[in-house]
Order: sequence, then C-alpha cells, then structure tokens
Amino acid sequence: MRLVAGASADGSATDNILAKPRLRLEHVTINYGRSRPAVDDVSLSIGAGEFVALLGPSGCGKSTLLNVFAGFRSPDRGRVLLDEQPHLGPSARCGIVFQKHALFPWMSVIENVAFGPRRLGLDRPLERAHALLDLVGLKDVAHAWPSSLSGGMQQRVGIARALATRPPVLLMDEPFGALDAQTRSLMQEELLAIWDKLKPTVVFVTHDIEEALFLAGRVIVMESLPGRVAREISIPFPRPRAHAIMDQPAFIEHRREIADVIRIEARKAFR
Amino acid sequence: MNRRDHRLDRIRQAALTIGLGAAGLAIFLAIWTLASLKLDNDVLLPPPADVLTTYGELIADGSLAGDVKASIVRVFAGFFAAASLAVPLALVLAYSRILRALVMPLIALIRPIPPIAWIPLAILWMGLGDPPSYFITAIAAFFPIFINAFAGGTSLVEEHVNAARSLGASPLALLTTVMLPSALPSIATGLRIGLGQAWMAVVTAELVAAQSGLGYMIQISRLSLETSRVLVGMTVIGLLGALMIGSLGVLERRVIVPWHYPR
Repeated sequence: MRLVAGASADGSATDNILAKPRLRLEHVTINYGRSRPAVDDVSLSIGAGEFVALLGPSGCGKSTLLNVFAGFRSPDRGRVLLDEQPHLGPSARCGIVFQKHALFPWMSVIENVAFGPRRLGLDRPLERAHALLDLVGLKDVAHAWPSSLSGGMQQRVGIARALATRPPVLLMDEPFGALDAQTRSLMQEELLAIWDKLKPTVVFVTHDIEEALFLAGRVIVMESLPGRVAREISIPFPRPRAHAIMDQPAFIEHRREIADVIRIEARKAFR
Repeated sequence: MNRRDHRLDRIRQAALTIGLGAAGLAIFLAIWTLASLKLDNDVLLPPPADVLTTYGELIADGSLAGDVKASIVRVFAGFFAAASLAVPLALVLAYSRILRALVMPLIALIRPIPPIAWIPLAILWMGLGDPPSYFITAIAAFFPIFINAFAGGTSLVEEHVNAARSLGASPLALLTTVMLPSALPSIATGLRIGLGQAWMAVVTAELVAAQSGLGYMIQISRLSLETSRVLVGMTVIGLLGALMIGSLGVLERRVIVPWHYPR
C-alpha cells in the first residue's frame, strides 16, 4: 500500500536534496510586538521527500517557524509556499505531530487515527487507521483510551494520526522531547523506518543536536533575537542509519561544530 | 499478586466499604431511637419505627407516590430547562469575548441571589401551582451548570484545536468533535451539582408556592404536628436525591465522559 504520493519512486535510501521544493519560505518575518522580531527575514526551501531538522536554543523561533509551515500563524511579512502555491491556513496536506497533549482523550486510539480520514471523507477510514496503527506497531491497543498508553505509545499514535491522511508534509514539533532517553532513541529509529517507507517531507524541530544529526539529511541551525538561520549543514551519513553512527568521528565532528554555534546563540538569549 | 487474588482483594475492599456504611447508618438509627425514648415526645422526635409505620400508611393510601411524583416532575422540568439554557449560553460565552464582556457582569450580579429570594416574584408572575416551582428549580440548577460548562468551554487545549484543523476539520466539525467533548467533563460535573441544587430548591418552592409535593407535605404535616410525616418527607427527599445524583454519576462514568474514568 502506497501511503504518500510524491516520494522518490526508486525507493533509494539517500536524501534527495535536489528534488523540487515542497515547502518554501520567502523573506518571512514574524513580530510578537517586541522590538526584535521572533523570526527575521528567513528564506528556506525544503525539497520533496527531504528530512530537515530545525535546531536551536529555546526562543530562536523554530517552533514559530513550524507554526508558519503548518498555517497556524501567517507571517507578518513574506510568503509561505506549499508546492509553489501560497499556503494560507492549516490543511490536511501538512500532518503535525506535537510534543504532547495532542491526542483527543475522548476518542479511542483508533478513532484518533481515523479522525483525519473521516474529516476528509476518505473511504474506509477505519481500515486506513488500522493500517497506520500497524505501521507504528500499535494494532493491539486500537480500542484503548489514549490516557492508558505510555508517553512513547501516545507519540506513536500521534505519528499514525498525522500520517493517516497521506500528507506530503510531516511537521514535528519536538515530538520526543518529553520522553525518557531510552524511549526517545527507539522512537528515533522507528521514525526513520517509517520515513523510509512513506518518504514524506519532514520538518523536525528539536533542541537536541544528536537527535537532529541522527535523523536529518539537513540541519538548519537557528539563531535567536532576532530568529534567523545561523547555519545550514548537510548530513552525509548513508541511510538506513543506526545509532552506532553516533560513535563515528564525522558525527562527533558535526556535533562539535553545531554545539559551538548553538552555545554562542544560547548565551545571547541567556542575557 | 495474580489476577484472581486481585479481584478477591477488590471484592473484599468493596464489602468493607459497604459494611462500614451500613454500620454508620445503624449507629445513627440507634442514637435516634435512644434520643426519642429519652425525650418521649412524638411531636419533637418520633422514633424511627414510628416513621417506618407512617411510611407504610402513606404508601398504602397512595399519597406519598403522588407527592413524590409532583416533586420529581418539578425537579426535572426545572433541571432540563436550566440545562438547555445554561450549556449553550456558557459555551457561546466561552468562545465570544464580546458576548462574554456583555453578559458576565449581569450573571455575576444575579448569581448570589438565592433561589428562595425569587419566590415572591415567581408567585406574583405565575400564581400558585406548578409554574413557580419550575422557575425556582430552574434558577437553582442554572448557575452550577452554567459556571461549570463555562469552565469546560474555556479549558480547550490549543494542541487539540490545531491538530483537528490540520486534519481537515471544518469549523462545525471543530465545534462538535473537539470543543464539545473538551467541555463535557465539566458539563457533567455541573449537571450533577445542578440536579442536587434543584432537589433542594423544589422543597423550598413547595413549602411556600405549591399545593402538592414533598415540600408541601412537610409543611402541612408540621402545621398538624404530625412530625413522623415530616420525617417521612425529609428522608424520602434524602433517598431520592442521593439515588438521582448517584445515577447521574454512573451515567457520567459509563456514558458521558468514559475516557475520564478508564477501567
């Protein structure tokens, strides 16, 4: 079953950075009524099927940018383009995974996942939902209440729900930030496996350098006050990746380079 | 501990809880009996046994059933009227800042007025009989339902709204599939409190403004110094009130907001 359109057809496991742009920001500025804008004149292009991490200290505007991608917030200046068309509000073409509290507690797990297909009037929503739950390895808890699941299981349901409408774009706002280290590392591998199968365009917000390096094909490091792109780094590690790459000298070198940039930024925001 | 032991343990716990409750009740009845023997005055305090006999008489001649029915009808008429006004109004106010600013000060001023203070107006406007009692029970039930439903309406989680919008929910779907369920736990609490308030208010209303019902029966029995009838009226109110609020609690856990009480 092909779940996502627009994925690279050859199924190759390398990152396709030269693909046509899926998401673009053109000179996006966002003020929160403060003297310095939260996001200042940011332009970005993210290709179809790319896995991009937005990395930075808190307050650098990375979550704000994700909200702009999602259409929850429109920029004060500049444009957001989805497939080269203006992207003007939330739509089922961008699935979102939140940090926490995002599952509907009044719906069973399966109804949460079937929510998007039902809203869009897709046929056989429950069948789709079961397929997605199977994909994240949770078909046994289909009829449980979300509150009875562990944090990691809840996030897997969140991923299944976000993918159930076959969105070409998956936006993730620190989705593993509230999980313990062991669960987080398992979730990272599982996310890569899912991405490998469905190849959505992923924008992944995190403040965890190793997480960004392990997952993404490109890391965009943000600086704060005002929020700008400090550096873009292509991550060349071949896929599929396992956590063992974290011990490679190249990984450690990238980590040090990004940590230096972030430390300067964090100090700026700290003052 | 295996599953069977676990169940046995739960049954033991439940038996203990029920047993203690029954013991508390028995102690209370014993003290009541002793006090009435000591007083030896059936107008001041008849013993429980006399009250039980009076129960028998009033059930036999059908008058208790008539009074119970009259009171229950009034409670539910007022309760449903209050709920069908309070819930939509509270939700609309929770989502509209302008309407909230317009209506909230008025509600803050009316809310402290006890239902009993409305009785003169209710009688003037509607005469004696059922309508003023409906009005009083509705007033009593309205505010707890409104306050809780409003709290429910404002307790919306931003992630839920954003998730629903990003999954293609229309504004109407947002209302029915996200906003309403978000508010339901608080609405259910409000309904339970509102029903209790309506029960208290119906007696107040019937003491003054009606010619039937448990409150009226208490009132005329007091005038004829038939204290055991007064006590029948009081205990029936207690039993029925506890039964209804308990049933609403079960309905809440099983049907209205089962996700709040996962088993």
